[in-house]
Amino acid sequence: MDDDEAITRALAGDLDAYEVLVARYSAAAHRTASLLGAGDEAEDVVQEAFVKAFRHLRGFRREAAFRPWLLRIVANETHNLTRSRGRRADLAARLGQEREQEGPQTPEGIVVTADGGGRLLQAVRNLPDREREAVVCRYFLQLSEVETAEVLGVRLGTVKSRTFRGLRRLREEVGRELLP
Amino acid sequence: MSSSPDRPGDRSDDRFDELEADLRALGETLHAPAPPPDAVARAVRARLEAPSEQGARSRRQGLFPRVRLSPRKAVAAVVVFLAVLIGATPQGRAAVVSVLRFAGVEIRVGEPGPLPTGVASPLPSERRVTLDEARQAVAFPVAVPAALGDPADVRVSDGGRVVTLLWPGLRLDEYDGTLDVVFRKDLGEPWPEDVPTVRGWWIQQPHGVSYMPKNGGPPTQDRVAGPTLIWQRDGVGLRLEGADKEEALRIANSTR
Repeated sequence: MDDDEAITRALAGDLDAYEVLVARYSAAAHRTASLLGAGDEAEDVVQEAFVKAFRHLRGFRREAAFRPWLLRIVANETHNLTRSRGRRADLAARLGQEREQEGPQTPEGIVVTADGGGRLLQAVRNLPDREREAVVCRYFLQLSEVETAEVLGVRLGTVKSRTFRGLRRLREEVGRELLP
Repeated sequence: MSSSPDRPGDRSDDRFDELEADLRALGETLHAPAPPPDAVARAVRARLEAPSEQGARSRRQGLFPRVRLSPRKAVAAVVVFLAVLIGATPQGRAAVVSVLRFAGVEIRVGEPGPLPTGVASPLPSERRVTLDEARQAVAFPVAVPAALGDPADVRVSDGGRVVTLLWPGLRLDEYDGTLDVVFRKDLGEPWPEDVPTVRGWWIQQPHGVSYMPKNGGPPTQDRVAGPTLIWQRDGVGLRLEGADKEEALRIANSTR
């Protein structure tokens, strides 16, 4: 069953069909929630997002892709959570922990320093919220610019400029730390 | 904006290539834990099937004490989901009617329906039975509120579709609240009040209530109902009429 058929059936109230969609996009939704800052509440955020997505399914434009539409709801739910709790600091810790659990594997290149990818990750953590969200969507979630614009609910040009500013800041941060 | 030094067009494409590659590689090392997709699908489905989202919310509250929607906002969300119908009033005039379907009851809020007059007629093929007979005659569990004790009178209607328990001044209808619409209520503003503690709705004003025949067809047995609590437990829809809100909630909470 492809997305379009599942959506058609779900719109008619077929919860079996909606379960197919939930299972299909569960991993992407959890990853989005986690990396955008939901931390250990990602499961709740994702459930809430899927419930809301079902309730608002009639507002989904059928010619569009389901995944970015869903991820936007996930991002909104995550945003509501972090905003309501001032969770920025927790997010940073969470991201750091995730990294440490992964062990010593580190990306090649400029981040290979004493603490490996941790330094680049630290720099991402320290970005202003809007730039961090854009960078997370573009590189950690590997969404296209168009998808990022939809997920974050901003214009394409805004994605480009926030990503650019974020990258520039990251390079300044990481580059400075690498100076002897 | 066009003069902003931040314009991405200013850069050559390879300027951030290395950093971008590093970020992607870093992203792939970031593990986001997720439960099995099937389990997530089941959990979401359970919440969608829950008689009231408030119920699901309260179960999760310790874990996830989110900002609670005000009743009015919660109602609005349900309305968005369910429908806003452009319907025709009996007078033939177009009116916007919002529809809420819950636990076998369809509540239409907009122009009040034509308020019927006269004596309420019984439900289709209504017959007087004992409580035990009622329990044998219907496919769903018949609940009796402990706060009220045994009913003074028991009726079964429409081939076991509805059981009505009666006490002086009180009427409790029970019906399969999962399959289809059994009662329809027409009321004007305000919207029913969401009552999360019993996963139900409180209708504070007198309103039109009609019975929706099992095999379709127009609503029948129009009558005026007083303030009513509707709620659902174990897939059984209940509507209690004749009590004020406080008493209705006490009765609902004692229903086992």
